[in-house]
Amino acid sequence: MKRSRYIDLDKMRKAKPKHPLFRPLTLAVASITLAACGQNEEEVKIVSSVEDCTANTTLTTEQCEVAYKQAVAEAVRTGPRYTSQRQCEEDFGYDQCVSPRSSSTFMPMFTGFMIGNLLSSNRGYGYNPVYQYRNSNSSSRNSLMTADGSIIGRAGQRSYKVSPNELKPKPRVTRTVSRGGFGAVASAKSSWGGGKSKGWGG
Amino acid sequence: MFRIPIAERPQWQKRAEEFGFEFHTMHGEKYWDESAYYQFTLEQIEKGIEAPTEDIHQMCLAVVDKVIKDDELMRRFCLPEAQWDFIRQSWLNGDPSLYSRLDFAYSGKGDAKLYENNADTPTSVYETGFWQWLWLQDNVDAGVLLPHSDQFNCLQEKLVNRFKEIKYLTPDRVLHFSCCKDTPEDRGTVQYLEDCANEAEIETDFVYIDDIGRDAEGSFTDTKDQVISSMFKLYPWEFMFQEAFSSQLGKNNIRWLEPPWKSLLSNKALLPMLWKMFPNHPNLLPAFFEDELHLATGIDSLVKKPIFSREGSNISFVGKDTHIEASSGPYGEEGFIYQATYMLPKFGNNYTLIGSWLVDDQAAGISIREDSNPITQDMSRYLPHVIV
Repeated sequence: MKRSRYIDLDKMRKAKPKHPLFRPLTLAVASITLAACGQNEEEVKIVSSVEDCTANTTLTTEQCEVAYKQAVAEAVRTGPRYTSQRQCEEDFGYDQCVSPRSSSTFMPMFTGFMIGNLLSSNRGYGYNPVYQYRNSNSSSRNSLMTADGSIIGRAGQRSYKVSPNELKPKPRVTRTVSRGGFGAVASAKSSWGGGKSKGWGG
Repeated sequence: MFRIPIAERPQWQKRAEEFGFEFHTMHGEKYWDESAYYQFTLEQIEKGIEAPTEDIHQMCLAVVDKVIKDDELMRRFCLPEAQWDFIRQSWLNGDPSLYSRLDFAYSGKGDAKLYENNADTPTSVYETGFWQWLWLQDNVDAGVLLPHSDQFNCLQEKLVNRFKEIKYLTPDRVLHFSCCKDTPEDRGTVQYLEDCANEAEIETDFVYIDDIGRDAEGSFTDTKDQVISSMFKLYPWEFMFQEAFSSQLGKNNIRWLEPPWKSLLSNKALLPMLWKMFPNHPNLLPAFFEDELHLATGIDSLVKKPIFSREGSNISFVGKDTHIEASSGPYGEEGFIYQATYMLPKFGNNYTLIGSWLVDDQAAGISIREDSNPITQDMSRYLPHVIV
């Protein structure tokens, strides 16, 4: 056979929009929705320190230290960033925000990190930090969330069900200083032919 | 190779809507045309198209390897010198390629002749990999075509597998897909490739080319301020090389699809280089740089092609075929190359071009475009095919 043996037609249908949920990052917490409930959810424990980790999970002290360091690194890399301490504290509470060295931004301190069975397989998963959201104007107050704003549940539980995606490293977020640096040649050429061209592929 | 009329599937437009194929009709004209199909034998496919496609791809890689080491040759490709390092590094790193499409003139007899290599931003991938596959499936299911009818088209299967390899080669990166605004065809093409990447369990996102931003360090960002670390762009490298953000290329840590070294293959300077390195190869047409036209002795008709051009724009004839009307377009300021004239085969009133797809270095299927004009252009009709 010289053609694709099988194509899953259900997956190719485009009746409903593919990405209905816009997942906002860092600052825009208000429109966050609860993570969808799926079958492949993973049970994780949230621990607040190396000692908590050693005492309450099956990991050894050495493993817990590695997990903690990874969570710190991940928090520095992907944690929510604010331009002012006030904005940060509004979302995460009084005295909960720090300004990392050599940076003018403010980030919340994480309240714990996730430990789960999936993490021992180490296939692209990591010990992600979690934050307690405390904005008094939000219905998500006292929820725990990952660095990209996904809510994993109310604070205070010993374990949580999360999608395996929450255990993956989050994309790095930065401050965009300018846009529109690509696309100029196409727009210059598209004036030719009254925009009849279908596109810029070939 | 035959052109055979066939009834259109009843209500195929509904089916197109169901699967999100939005550009089957454009500017009031038919683009997807299932009022006929082309029929091939297995030998025509395997010996006539598949084997030459893979051979030519290897020859193209040999051209890149030679040109990249030679400043004089690099100059021939009219790419900004400031980007040469970026291009060279991607080749020396072995940055993986996803796909290409070689365009051939082939009538079913004799040797297929290479017109050009769409190595950077090939389109009609959805129509090929999925939509014509579905057309065959539907017609077999309806008993219109025989159950053993086949098609040279494992494009979707191979794309998904290639994305799995790319995921393995560059793990843990979100792959951003990108194209220009206001181009439904490009948006559809990119969505299809994103679907294929998702099938390979790659995490993806989308940003329009025009919306890409940069931060203070020069990293590129999407509209959610996420740093882009891996990107598929359906936008020509030679455009990007001239634009404001080009000074950051190669300085920020991004894996690109297609990789920058493919800007040497989507470039018409490839054609005279191939002819120099593999003279008289049965699947190549003699081709020459403008200052080497004296080498074109005994050739009475040449096609003049811009170094950079897409979709058959700005093509004209020199020599005995000057009566054929040239195509217009916005390209040509970087100069031209010349290729010996070899007309497309005619089936009825239609000139027929075969696009032969590669996923990495493997032949993966064909697409067929038809036009009443000898120069295939962006509005040329797309027809399906079968192997019997």
